[in-house]
Amino acid sequence: MLALAFRAGDAELAVAARDIVEVLPRMPLRQPPLAPAGVVGLLPYRGMLTPVVDLCQVVAGRPAEALLGTRIIVVAVGHSSARRWLGLLAEDVVDLVEIGDTLEGLRLPDAPWLGRHLPARPGLPQLVDPAELLPEALLRLFVPEDAA
Amino acid sequence: MSRVDSRLAARLSWFVGIFLLLFAAFATLAWFTLGAVRVKGPIYDRIIVGNDLIADILPPPGYIVESYLLVLRLRDEADPTEIARLIERGNRLRVDYENIQEKWKRNLADEPAIANPMTVTAARAALDFYRIRDEEYVPALKAGQRDAALAALARMHQRYEAHRYAIDEVVELARQRNATDEREADALIERRSSHLVALGAAIVLLVLVMAWFARRVAQQLSARVHFAAGVAERVAQGDLTIEVPASNEIDEAGTLLAAIGTMTQSLRGLVARVKQASVELMSTATEFAATSRQQEATVQGFGASTNQIAAAVKQIAATSHELLGTMEGLNTVSAQTAELAEQGQTGLSHLDTTMDRLAQVANAMAARLAAIREEAADITGVVTTISKVADQTNLLSINAAIEAEKAGEQGLGFLVLAREIRRLADQTAVATLDIEQMVKQMQTAVSAGVMEIDRFAEEVRSGVGTVERVGGQFTQIISQVKTLSERFDTVNHGMRSQSQGARQIGEAMGQLLDGARQTSVSLREFNAATGSLRDAVSALKQEIAKFNLGA
Repeated sequence: MLALAFRAGDAELAVAARDIVEVLPRMPLRQPPLAPAGVVGLLPYRGMLTPVVDLCQVVAGRPAEALLGTRIIVVAVGHSSARRWLGLLAEDVVDLVEIGDTLEGLRLPDAPWLGRHLPARPGLPQLVDPAELLPEALLRLFVPEDAA
Repeated sequence: MSRVDSRLAARLSWFVGIFLLLFAAFATLAWFTLGAVRVKGPIYDRIIVGNDLIADILPPPGYIVESYLLVLRLRDEADPTEIARLIERGNRLRVDYENIQEKWKRNLADEPAIANPMTVTAARAALDFYRIRDEEYVPALKAGQRDAALAALARMHQRYEAHRYAIDEVVELARQRNATDEREADALIERRSSHLVALGAAIVLLVLVMAWFARRVAQQLSARVHFAAGVAERVAQGDLTIEVPASNEIDEAGTLLAAIGTMTQSLRGLVARVKQASVELMSTATEFAATSRQQEATVQGFGASTNQIAAAVKQIAATSHELLGTMEGLNTVSAQTAELAEQGQTGLSHLDTTMDRLAQVANAMAARLAAIREEAADITGVVTTISKVADQTNLLSINAAIEAEKAGEQGLGFLVLAREIRRLADQTAVATLDIEQMVKQMQTAVSAGVMEIDRFAEEVRSGVGTVERVGGQFTQIISQVKTLSERFDTVNHGMRSQSQGARQIGEAMGQLLDGARQTSVSLREFNAATGSLRDAVSALKQEIAKFNLGA
């Protein structure tokens, strides 16, 4: 089992490889009008407009830096019947780590998407559950109610 | 009336008509044959006439008239040869008569009324006649006793008369019997003819009744067969909604209808199952096709990126080589500079000439340094390209690893390859960083060198009074050039490791390309298989669509 390690602000995070559809290079995105702060653009991906969320904006309150390591991770959200794609803009998306034995960390009621820690790296990156990542109101923008 | 029914009925009518025709022909033929051969009929008459003719012409052997005539001729005959011939003839007639008597005795055994005068009265007279002729008359004639012969002849005459009387009686009896037989035969034929007519009429009537009955049965049967044919035709057109009413009759048509009903029901079930299965198959095939197309696109993108990387790596190797050459030139020049500086320091007496040479060297160095600056700018461009390539390689390897992870067991080899590529990309990035820093230092040094050289040239031009300072400057130049030399060595080392790294990347790319090509071939085959599967399923679906299953 592999996980893709990355950084959002100061937080070391990781996403399980089985949740990832594809990793895309950073590309210029335009914020859709009146969209919530986390949504930085709509990405045409495999014939569908996929919303992209800036994790640095969500975690650290600042936009992700325009570096080569800053990339878009396309993940699948929702159940198999109503599967939607979601783009996550994060920094330092350059390494894959073995998940191995994970460690239980702090349980934060405000951030239920932060899961167990990976001891494979010195930064102890935390596994992110993409389905739990966004507030309900934000998630509802992407996944249609009737399909979910 | 339906098509099938009329055909059956027509065929039946044909059979009945042909039978009646043949029967009429048979009856007519029988009638005419009977008429032709009956008593007093034409053929009978002809036979009778023939028999009469023979009887009228030939002397009858059963009647001894010829023997009597022969005896009379013997009485007047004188020629002995003629006499012998007549006696011989008489003997033959006697034998013939006796044979005839034997025959009629047998033939008339059950008719005593005729047999009595024929075989008893007439035969006795005839035998007496022959006995007197052979025992008395012929020996008397031979002996020449004419009187005895005549007496015998008179007695023979009596016997002849008696015989003739008896024969007449037989003829009369036979004629009466014939007349009776003819009458009886006529009556019998009359009776039989009327019977035949009645029988023929009865047969014709019976056949007509049978024909009517068969026609009714055919109509009933064909109506149900027609219904069965209609059901079968609708099933053939794909309409499976039809229901066959349950029949309680257990004849052939009922069995056929029941069988068709069962067949329709099982066909309906089968077609429904096949329809469902084909829809599932179609969706599976479409899913397959989508997945394989996606894979193919990924692999193609991967191949293109790999090609790009290989080209970039080749470019890096070529540039590094060029750079190495330049570095070596620079090294030589710096060595020469150091030497000259030392010479200048020791021999300030040759300052004028040395100044000129120094100025020349300074110019050359300035030109070289300008070239170095240009090369450095080039290196910066190359380094940027390498950084981008390393970034793309890293991204590619991450995606490859994710795909391999999803592929499970089969992706393990690919996972290792992706990890190796990622490591090489990281090494490339680190080497790039080193090169960047080195180039920056080199640029700083070159800028400083250029400035110093400019200033030195100024000093040389300003005059001999500054020679002491120039000496100090010389020292500075030497030290700078030495630093440069050292830095050049470092850059050389970095270049070499970079070149090695580029070669390794090239090899890895080759392996990766092979893998991508194999994957692409497999995907194409898979695509073709999926296409044919989809074609087959759509053909099946089209076939199935012909069947109507109702709601």
